[in-house]
Amino acid sequence: MIRNNYPPQGGFFSFWRYLKKMFHVTSFYLLIFTHMITGSHAVIKSLIEEGIKVIFGYPGGQIIPIYDALYDYKEEINHVLVRHEQGAVHAAEGYARATGRVGVCFATSGPGATNLVTGIADAMIDSVPVLCITGQVGSNLLGSDAFQEVDMIGITTPITKWNYQITDAAEIPQIIAKAIYIARTGRPGPVVIDIARNAQISNLDFSYKKCSFIESYQPNYSPNLRQIKSAAELINKAKRPLVLSGHGVIISQAQNELLTLIEKASLPTAFTLLGLSTFPSRHPLNMGMLGMHGNYGPNILTNKADVILAIGMRFDDRVTGRLANYAKQARIIHIDIDPAELNKNVRADIPLVADAKIALKALIPLIEKKSRSNWLTEFNKYQKIEKERVIHKEIHPKGNYITMAEVINLLSEKTSGKAVIVADVGQHQMITARYYQSEKTNNFITSGGLGTMGYALPAAIGAQIGTPKNQVIAIIGDGSFQMNIQELATIIQEKIPLKIIILKNNYLGMVRQWQELFYKKRYSFTDLYSPDFVALAKSYTLKAKKIIKRSQLNSCLSDFLKSKRPYLLEINVKNKHNVFPMIPLGASVDEIRLE
Amino acid sequence: MKFTISAFAENKPGVLYRVTDLFLRRKINIESLTASETEKVGISKFTIVVDADANIVEKIVKQLYRIIEVIKVSENLDRDIVFREIALIKVHAKDLNSRQEIDHLTQLFKAKIIHVTKESLIVEIAGDEEEIIGLFNLLKPFGIKEFVRSGRISVLK
Repeated sequence: MIRNNYPPQGGFFSFWRYLKKMFHVTSFYLLIFTHMITGSHAVIKSLIEEGIKVIFGYPGGQIIPIYDALYDYKEEINHVLVRHEQGAVHAAEGYARATGRVGVCFATSGPGATNLVTGIADAMIDSVPVLCITGQVGSNLLGSDAFQEVDMIGITTPITKWNYQITDAAEIPQIIAKAIYIARTGRPGPVVIDIARNAQISNLDFSYKKCSFIESYQPNYSPNLRQIKSAAELINKAKRPLVLSGHGVIISQAQNELLTLIEKASLPTAFTLLGLSTFPSRHPLNMGMLGMHGNYGPNILTNKADVILAIGMRFDDRVTGRLANYAKQARIIHIDIDPAELNKNVRADIPLVADAKIALKALIPLIEKKSRSNWLTEFNKYQKIEKERVIHKEIHPKGNYITMAEVINLLSEKTSGKAVIVADVGQHQMITARYYQSEKTNNFITSGGLGTMGYALPAAIGAQIGTPKNQVIAIIGDGSFQMNIQELATIIQEKIPLKIIILKNNYLGMVRQWQELFYKKRYSFTDLYSPDFVALAKSYTLKAKKIIKRSQLNSCLSDFLKSKRPYLLEINVKNKHNVFPMIPLGASVDEIRLE
Repeated sequence: MKFTISAFAENKPGVLYRVTDLFLRRKINIESLTASETEKVGISKFTIVVDADANIVEKIVKQLYRIIEVIKVSENLDRDIVFREIALIKVHAKDLNSRQEIDHLTQLFKAKIIHVTKESLIVEIAGDEEEIIGLFNLLKPFGIKEFVRSGRISVLK
């Protein structure tokens, strides 16, 4: 009975409750109407407004206020604690590459911030939208060599699309909106926001408006239609046309437009390293990879084509070989969103500043249907030579030792080319690029322009978190693995069902290959001691298995792929083995060597 | 070849760094650089003089456009622009003779004496590099105490 009467109704108590309620309501409305919150809360709220779901980061002294605010938003936003800031930025990159959304990472000032530098440079050269938020000492201490103060804006200026230091809390919402807009539009890239401690702890009147226009920055998405017409004429007249497709086609999600175009006009298409998983490998017009360790046909025939249509690629030196001998006979049409890429390395007869998807859409109706079977047979001829002299030997080796290529070939078969593959940097990367037969758009992720060893483990974490339904497999050499090996703990703590294959040859294989071929076999510091990775994995409670014999390969790989938990496979592969074909440094594309 | 690059940009911190970094990356020495306000509020103009190959300059100009705050860039040869520099020359002048002679030279070059002390004169001259160096060489025998020169400013013809 007493319970039912409590709290007492009417009279004094009711009045008292009314007063109490009104007090709460007024203070509540004060808060609502003025929206006063701290800079740190504004950071998190701004990210939530932008639809950011995950942050990869590592706390430290000057970013504690932001982490303190983050504690209030555990439901809305997931934070992944990495073990080193380089892991955070690569994870953000992997997330961005796999999802097409902006990847976000947090780090503290000083060493935390400088640990991001490699990943920021990587994102810059590979056009990956990443937002890095770093803590900074209070603005009264800026420039005074304070504890953990580093000039992050100065350091990152050459390697960011944009950066900004916030010293006033009121700037936070508009700067985050601007940063996200810059990161994801035009040619995507990394942005850094350095937030001084005083801006994190002082209050601002919060309201959020997404950025959709910057007067001084207006990327040109639509192509010049006269140029499109001339391009179409050139393609229609071509006897031996070749399409070079790059990362830009994947970024603008133009894979269907590309397919429509090339199928209509029977255009053989070759891909840059970052363009590899644009459309299925087994498509008859997919002629494989360009460049230093690319396929035989497209490299040689680059110098026989009469018209080259390059889309969303930047004629990197690893693609062109010796520029003086590169495609001199061809008329070149170059489509890129970044005007600075046109005529940078290779002169274009028809330069086209545009988004790949919009440009291809405009091009398709003007292109004539053609079959071009003679020209296509030439590719098949070289494909056959490469198969006989390189590929067959690699995937069906005679010796006792397992080759990297047979592992990747088997993995490719077992996953039907549909897993998301994240390759690190080195021989295993080139082998994975060559032998993983991708059948799904954007399922091959690797560090292309910067060639960052240690990329794959954290990037795969980001890719797996971004696309939880995908099977994500990191392929890593024993050298690269030891560069960011600490992120194994992140996988366990976050329960990320990542699959890791270590191709272990106890060498820095790619450098060793160069030493063998070009440095008189003087193997200067490339033999590498590596630990027992299975024993190491066990200490993290990570399931792991070692493969040393070919007979184990098939069944172990099946178990590995079936597992729902994270799993590490250490596969001991043939050491002192070289990747071919190869265009030696300074040679031209048609001087590609098969052995 | 000598190029004058004019870049208009929003006046924000860090833009100058991004602009000069592009020259640094290609190891191109900047002969002179002037940053100043323009007729539009919040917009600055960078005038950069470099001696470099035309095709490198073309590439740098495109890369300047990558900078978010940069609005417009142009590269010009001397024949397409009107340009000026300003110099201040502090020259020894103790006796009447040298004072008269310096005054005479100053008038010839349409320069001005802007400060006088017992021991020296300060001459201000505005013009192109040739005129400034011409006056400088003629004043040299009197003994130059200090010589400063601004960067180039330019306007398209």
